[in-house]
Order: sequence, then C-alpha cells, then structure tokens
Amino acid sequence: MRPRRYFRLIMLLAGASVSAQLEYRVNFLVNVASSILASGGALFGLSILFSDGQRVGGWTYREAIVVVGLFTLVEGFIATFLQPNLSRVSEAVRTGTMDFTLLKPIDSQFLVSAREVNIFRLSDILIGLGLMLWAVITLHSATPWGVALGIVLILAGLVIVYAIWFILTTTAFWFVNIENLTELFHGLFGAGQFPVTAFPGWTRIVFSFVVPVAFITTVPAEAFIGRADPARAVGAAAIALFLFFVARWFWKFAVRSYTSASS
Amino acid sequence: MPVPLLTDSAMRTSENQLTSMTADPSITVTVRDLRKHYTVHEKEPGIRGSLRSFVRRNSRQVHAVDGVSFDLEAGEMVGFLGPNGAGKTTTLKMLAGLLHPSGGQVRIGPYTPKERRTGFLKLITLVMGQKQQLIWDLPAYDSFLVNQAIYEVPDDQFKATMHEFIETLELEQIVKKQVRKLSLGERMKCELAAAPLHRPRVLFLDEPTIGLDVNMQVRIREFVADYNRRYNATVMLTSHYMADVTALCNRIIVIDKGRIIFDGDLSRLVEQTAPAKIIRLQLSTPVTVEHLASYGHVHSFDGLNVELKVPRAETTRIAARLLAELPVADVTIEDPPIEEIIGQMFSQMRAEQRDQAAAGEPASVA
Repeated sequence: MRPRRYFRLIMLLAGASVSAQLEYRVNFLVNVASSILASGGALFGLSILFSDGQRVGGWTYREAIVVVGLFTLVEGFIATFLQPNLSRVSEAVRTGTMDFTLLKPIDSQFLVSAREVNIFRLSDILIGLGLMLWAVITLHSATPWGVALGIVLILAGLVIVYAIWFILTTTAFWFVNIENLTELFHGLFGAGQFPVTAFPGWTRIVFSFVVPVAFITTVPAEAFIGRADPARAVGAAAIALFLFFVARWFWKFAVRSYTSASS
Repeated sequence: MPVPLLTDSAMRTSENQLTSMTADPSITVTVRDLRKHYTVHEKEPGIRGSLRSFVRRNSRQVHAVDGVSFDLEAGEMVGFLGPNGAGKTTTLKMLAGLLHPSGGQVRIGPYTPKERRTGFLKLITLVMGQKQQLIWDLPAYDSFLVNQAIYEVPDDQFKATMHEFIETLELEQIVKKQVRKLSLGERMKCELAAAPLHRPRVLFLDEPTIGLDVNMQVRIREFVADYNRRYNATVMLTSHYMADVTALCNRIIVIDKGRIIFDGDLSRLVEQTAPAKIIRLQLSTPVTVEHLASYGHVHSFDGLNVELKVPRAETTRIAARLLAELPVADVTIEDPPIEEIIGQMFSQMRAEQRDQAAAGEPASVA
C-alpha cells in the first residue's frame, strides 16, 4: 500500500517535471553537447597522463577509463536527479514556498527529493555507462562476482552522493543561499574522475573519509576490473548507510528549527 | 481598493444561519494564550552597516503574537483583521502547524497543529495570496493531480470536487493553460482550487484576493462561501479588503501588536467605530466646497471628484438629495476602508486611555 503510493507519486512528479522541460526544447541539444564535451575532455586529460604507457597509482589507461565512466555516470545522476530538486530547496526557503511542502501529508524529505527529473542530463548517465562498459569488456579482467559487487557499490556510491548533497542542501534553512556550498562539493567531487590511488597519501585519506569521493568512483571501479578489496566494499556500504541516516536526521532537525524559529 | 457592497451582505447572513444549523461539533478550533516571540537581526543601511552586521549581529526580541485566545465553531467564518505586522500571518501559521508557538495552546479537532500529523494535515489547508504552489510551466490541472496523489484522494471524489470547483470558479478555459501564461487573477483562482482539493474542514486564507480586480474578488468570495456551505468548513480569513470580510464573515477578530483588541460581531464594530459612510461623487460641473459642506464632511475634493463623509443612518437620504440637487455624473457609496476603521478604533482606544489618565480633558476623536 505505502510503497505503491510513493511509486505512483514518483511517476506522476517525474511525468510533470518532464513535460515541463519539454516546453524548452533547445535545452536538450545544449545538454547533450555539453556532456559529450565534458567526458571527451576527461579522456583527453587521462591520455596525456598515461601517454608514455606508464601506470599511474597502479592503474593502466584502460582501467582508469572505468573510473572516468563511473564519474560521468555519477555526475549525470547528480545533474538528473539531485541538482534540480535540491536547488529548489534553497529557493523554496527564500521565497517561503517551503511552507506548502511542510503542509503536505507526506514525508517532506521524499517530496523535496523526488519532485524534479532533469531528463536532458540522462545523456550523461548513458555516456558514463557506455564508457564504463566498453572499458570493462575490453579489459577482459571482469568476473561475474566482481560485476555484481560493482553494481551494489555503485548504488552505495549514489546513496553517498545523495546524502552528502542533501546534507549540504539542508543547510539552506540557515544560510538560505547555498550555491557556493554546492560549488565546493563539485570542486572536491572533481577529484573522483581519477583513481584515488593516483593522489598522494594524505589526500587519499581526505577523499576516503572526509569527502568519501573514493567510495563513489574508485571502489566500484576496482570491483568491475576484478580487483575488489572486500574491506573497502564493506566500508562503502557502511558509509552509505551512515550518511543516509545522518542526512535524514539533519533534515528533521532543520525542519524542526525552521518551524520553531522563523517568522 | 474598497468595493461597494450592499447586496451581498443580506445574502451571506442567510447562508451563515444555514451552516450553523448543520454544524458538526467535532472540529472546533481552540486557541489559548498563544504566543510567538522571536529574535530579529537588525542592519543599519549602507555597506558600512552591512559589514558591521556581518561581523556582529544586532538582535532584538519581537513579540509577534502576545497572548491570543479565541474559539471557532465548526462552520464558522471569521475575518481576521489588523494592520501590517500585527501578527495575523504568524497566528495563521501557528494554527496551520508551520510555526511552533513560544507559549500557549492550539487545538484543532483532536489535533495539536505543531505535531503536523497526517490526519491533521488532511483536515486543513492554507492559502497564501502572496505565494504559489502550482507548477509554473504546466497547466494547473497537473498540479491538481499531484495534490490528489499526495492527499490520497480517491478518483471519483477527485472528479466530483474538480467538477464542482471548475464550475464555481469558472475554470474550464483556464486549467489546461500553462500557469505561467495565466493572469494574476486566473492564477489565484487555480491556487484557490488546488488548496481544498482534499476537502479540508478548516481553511486558513491569508490575503486570498490581494491584487485582484473587483470581479475576481467577488468570484473568490462566492467560492469560499460555497465551500463553507457545502462542507460546513471553518474559515479564517485575513484580508485588506473590507468587502471580503463583510461579504463572508459575521464575526471578526481584530489584532494589533500581537494582541486581540476586538472579537465580535462585524456590524457592531463598523457601527461603533465607523459611524460614517463615504459617498464618492463625480460631478459634471464644478461646485464650491462650501456648498458641498452643507451635505456632509468633505473628505477630499478636487473640482469634479468629491468624497463626502456622512452619518451612516442618513446615507440614503443625503445621497438622494445629492442626486436631485447637484450635477452628479456618477455616485458610489461605501464603508470607509478597513485600515481607516481600525485606525479610528486605535485612536478611540488611545483617547479613552488618555481620558482615564487625565480625567476632564476633552478627547479628540478624528
């Protein structure tokens, strides 16, 4: 009963969001072009880095392409599902329409997270998937178990990204304008297009535990190319769960203080 | 601006009597000693002030709502009036569960609003004339469908409600156009239809007619009256337009600086504090002020446009005389704007306080 209601609502909201975007057609072409250019740029960067046939941080060029593919996929996920919803949160706080969300008899976190889908950025997800598949298949090192684990780890990575992004968004209740914060996240997340082992020691710790970028791209990529590290896989799942609950708690806390303080 | 409304008031009286007969005692609103205090940050003007407040914020306690108590019966329509910043919106938000009170209690039916339980949220709705919930790029009907899903309204009930709202608000041509292409009035009608789709029993309307023309205001009033009658819904309405309140509400609550200063019958308030009506004349040839002054107090005058203030009881007689004796092109009769009535109420209050302080001194009531 309950899950069906939420599923129906997701479809309805997505449908509404998509039809709203179809009002602006040129946007689509611009977005496809920009995501092709972006992943092309990343590949070019990698090819220079690996041009003398060396390994960087233990990764070959082809293996690193799996990371780039994953990175593009996650970026597409952010642009398609997170960015359009969560940028509306700060707008809703600023203009006061958050009140309407809080008056609805439904989980408010669900409602602010599921409202919009930017279909024009689905192309990023497809390009990322294609890149990753091509690299994994031509590498010949993938195992069925590794691929299955990789898929689970991608999901964990997406949960991590959602949670971090959502926590940053929730600060809009106090800071109102949070564009700079999400820019900061984008800057740090940019590190995810390279295997984390390519970075010097201390930054690796930052990217694993401060901003868990490593768990979003490098760890699933390792599983796909048959080099899964069980400890890191368990770590990714644990971090995903932990961050999800932190995000949930933080949202409830923010709503409570919004309703008890604002005018 | 204020709207002449003489005929509606007779209609609404009979409507309200009808609803009170079928009243359902279960959904009552009880407010006791409600308070909301919050801290505001102040900033001096200019870049210097901005920098200073960036470093160290100057804060001050504001008592937005300061001990408000009242009861609403099921099906009652109440006008909630007061100057800007009096605490009307803050009170409504606390009743809707959007703000936690700093003190006091609110009960709506079996619920405490601040807990925002599903049952409570399905029981109420809040319309804010200044904010919109409709999806901007899509026809309003899409937003209605989203609300249907969120409130879990069964399909047949949704269709029936929709049919009824489309008819009363004359929405047929409007619901299929993108919201961004609608006029302000059309959009407001759609907003108003979206809010009570789940058939709530308590409606909070915060300035639902703001910025709308007279026709649109009348249509929206009719819709609210109709909804109230059909579902025996309790309505609490704030508005700057006297006509909204006179058309819909028998009872009004006036609030100032977070406190209730009047709670009772509308006609009593108007007769008590505004014993005058305004006759607005458009003349075809100029008349002297002295001549006009023999009919009543000249409120404003610029050659051809005249505003006369006359005693309420004599309005009809004076209007007839004016029409017979002066070159009148157009005439309207109206109550003074609500701000004026309330302003007068305040100056009377202050005068009374002064009188009590220094007995014998003559009080000047404008």
